Amino acid sequence: MDTKDQYLQMFFDESAEYLQQLNENVLLLEEHPEDEEIINAVFRAAHSVKGMSATMGYERLTDLTHRMESILAKVRNKEMTINEFIIDTLFSGLDYIKLLLDDIRNNGEERTDISDYLSKLEKILNNDISIQEVLVKPEKTDLNLQDFTGMIALTEEEKEEIYNKMTSNDRIYNIRVILAEDCLLKNVRGYMILKKAQELGYLAKSNPDQREIEDEDFGDSIYIKLISALKEKQIQEELADIIDVEQVIIHVEDYKVEEKAVVEQQEAKSLVDSIKKQKDGLANIQVSPTVRVDIKKLDTLMNMVGELLINKTRLEGLNIDSDVYQDIIQQLDRVTQDLHHTVMQIRMVPIGGIFNRFPRMVRDLSKELDKKIDLIIEGADTELDRSLIDELGDPLMHIIRNSIDHGIEKPAERERKGKPATGNILLQAYQKGSEIIIEVEDDGAGINTEKVIEKAIEKGIITPDEASQMEERDKLNLIFHPGFSTSEEVTDISGRGVGMDVVRNVVETLDGQVFVESELGVGTRFTISLPLTLAITQALMVVINNEVYAIPLGSISETLLVAPEEIIQVRGQDVILLRESTIPLVEAARQLNLDIEYGKYRQLEEIPVVIINSGERQIGLIVDQMLNQQEIVIKSLGKFLVNIKNISGATIVGDGDVALILDVRNIA
Amino acid sequence: MSKRVLVVDDAAFMRMMIKNILIDGGFEIVGEAETGRDAIELYKELKPDLVTMDITMPEMDGIDAVKEILEIDKDAKIIMCSAMGQQAMVIDAIQAGAKDFVVKPFKPDRVLAAVNKLFNE
Repeated sequence: MDTKDQYLQMFFDESAEYLQQLNENVLLLEEHPEDEEIINAVFRAAHSVKGMSATMGYERLTDLTHRMESILAKVRNKEMTINEFIIDTLFSGLDYIKLLLDDIRNNGEERTDISDYLSKLEKILNNDISIQEVLVKPEKTDLNLQDFTGMIALTEEEKEEIYNKMTSNDRIYNIRVILAEDCLLKNVRGYMILKKAQELGYLAKSNPDQREIEDEDFGDSIYIKLISALKEKQIQEELADIIDVEQVIIHVEDYKVEEKAVVEQQEAKSLVDSIKKQKDGLANIQVSPTVRVDIKKLDTLMNMVGELLINKTRLEGLNIDSDVYQDIIQQLDRVTQDLHHTVMQIRMVPIGGIFNRFPRMVRDLSKELDKKIDLIIEGADTELDRSLIDELGDPLMHIIRNSIDHGIEKPAERERKGKPATGNILLQAYQKGSEIIIEVEDDGAGINTEKVIEKAIEKGIITPDEASQMEERDKLNLIFHPGFSTSEEVTDISGRGVGMDVVRNVVETLDGQVFVESELGVGTRFTISLPLTLAITQALMVVINNEVYAIPLGSISETLLVAPEEIIQVRGQDVILLRESTIPLVEAARQLNLDIEYGKYRQLEEIPVVIINSGERQIGLIVDQMLNQQEIVIKSLGKFLVNIKNISGATIVGDGDVALILDVRNIA
Repeated sequence: MSKRVLVVDDAAFMRMMIKNILIDGGFEIVGEAETGRDAIELYKELKPDLVTMDITMPEMDGIDAVKEILEIDKDAKIIMCSAMGQQAMVIDAIQAGAKDFVVKPFKPDRVLAAVNKLFNE
């Protein structure tokens, strides 16, 4: 492993942690401007970032943090008082730190221009009050900073293949080659660029690919992922030298060949040196006794546990009449369960990791909109599978933005309504059974269902007739409909063209659900429920028309055997009364479109019914037979069979057969 | 010393165009060929520093000529002269080893940019 890079990685990790700390503490400072503890904490963190940056030789970061530190020193010595302007200034500084760090990560050097900001800090330091103007927010407008790596993302197999080929001298370069607008015979030019890239290294991927280039099926840019031992500068020059190439942007990817068993002694020596140096420079950083593991390794481990489980289930299926056999099965059962549990535990991270970015956002947005909002966070230590955490950030951000933008009213309006001027948004997470619940609740204006209906009719989502027959809950749920957005005008805050339907999509791909409850004038609550883990779950095995199906236990509330005379007809629909609630009955075979005669269950003496939960709604699913409860490993049906109605995946059962997993949410 | 160029095109008009551009750019035109076959013979005889090569020509087209010239001299610098719509053939030529291409109707600055680039390396 490259020693400089290992050093860098540490630098990124640490500085990201400090940046988060700084953000949190500056927020606190705004609330408690006199608190010396907080001022000192901010000061220390800024100082640490400065020390690290200076050690690494990043001058802008060093300058920036140095001056921020000077301001904080003045505050600490009571030469300056904290006011909104100072807080804003500090926050912009933190944004600049982040941009500079991103620069270094993506390009290996500092690119963001901070000279304006620095001179402002200088003026503040000199007590030049006249500059209390609005600070320009740092923005990423530079083309160089745009992240285009997604254009040439690799599949897992490709990664494996490529990473195996790499030597320790190799780097992964993500390259964007922009062609001149007046470029003639673009496809030939593109071909020459690919040819040149192949001369410079191993061309891992290009977008467009060679065929598309030859067919001239692309815009002004060609994205290339190149593995090469050459220097960034040389690659840049060679590509830029081709005629009609307007610009070449190169991002060096973080990946390095790691953990090669043989480390040359020379390297090992300098590695030790660099760690020593690092320790000198960052004496006050605590290193927690943990091991950082690539999440992919955990995925692999989880898959293997899944395989093990399938085989265990098959073994159980043999049902041999022998004490030794029973003993082994029991042992195996315990061990695999423990193993599964442990792997899941390892993959779990506190949801606080995504929650802690919201206080800053709420502060900035409420300021922008002249609203007063308190964000209350509860259950930040609730743990969730790592893969879910990563996906949840955006939907939550969207919901909270919506609450700030459309939910919470302006202070004057709130007072008129007799509410406290400051609105509340409660963000909380907790575990409920095998699910994690995340709620975003505000005490704002609530959702006006009449307006929702109006809008939905106007957009052609529903007809006025349908609207008149809709229940309140269904009206609310219209906001999740694709192409629906209640906001009249597109604001900067939420109406970005992505609506709540995107939120719902993301949550559903995670096998979760999202609900909304709202009362006009009182507030709105969004609830996201997610399974604890995606890969392995408990399920009830049932038989429908001689086939075995699995129903995840998470969505089952109970199972019943119903006598035919208990069935009542309401408006042509079979229902049963269960503890005073009416539950409609649905025949599973009919839902699955199986080609058999429906309604035969009425002739049975006892009808097996599985009561399924979907949000607040319950439904009774009629099956032919209930078998047993067992752990199943959820396998996807593969990319050719996505979006099959009512089937969410498949699993392998004891006898090696495949059983389909019912997606009961859509049925209920 | 100015670089010596062999101009290959079946149309005298096109040869005239490119000759004028190159002469203005400080190059010396040492020969002209109307077919791929002639181009190969002239290349052997003249050993020019650069060849501008049309694609569609009688007897032997530009792509085959490129291949044969490169067999004689693997370092030969050849620039293809293409019309719009000949993309696939230009790609073939580049694949065969032509260094670059220019597109008809010729623009002097583009032609010279491409040609000069070859000698800067």
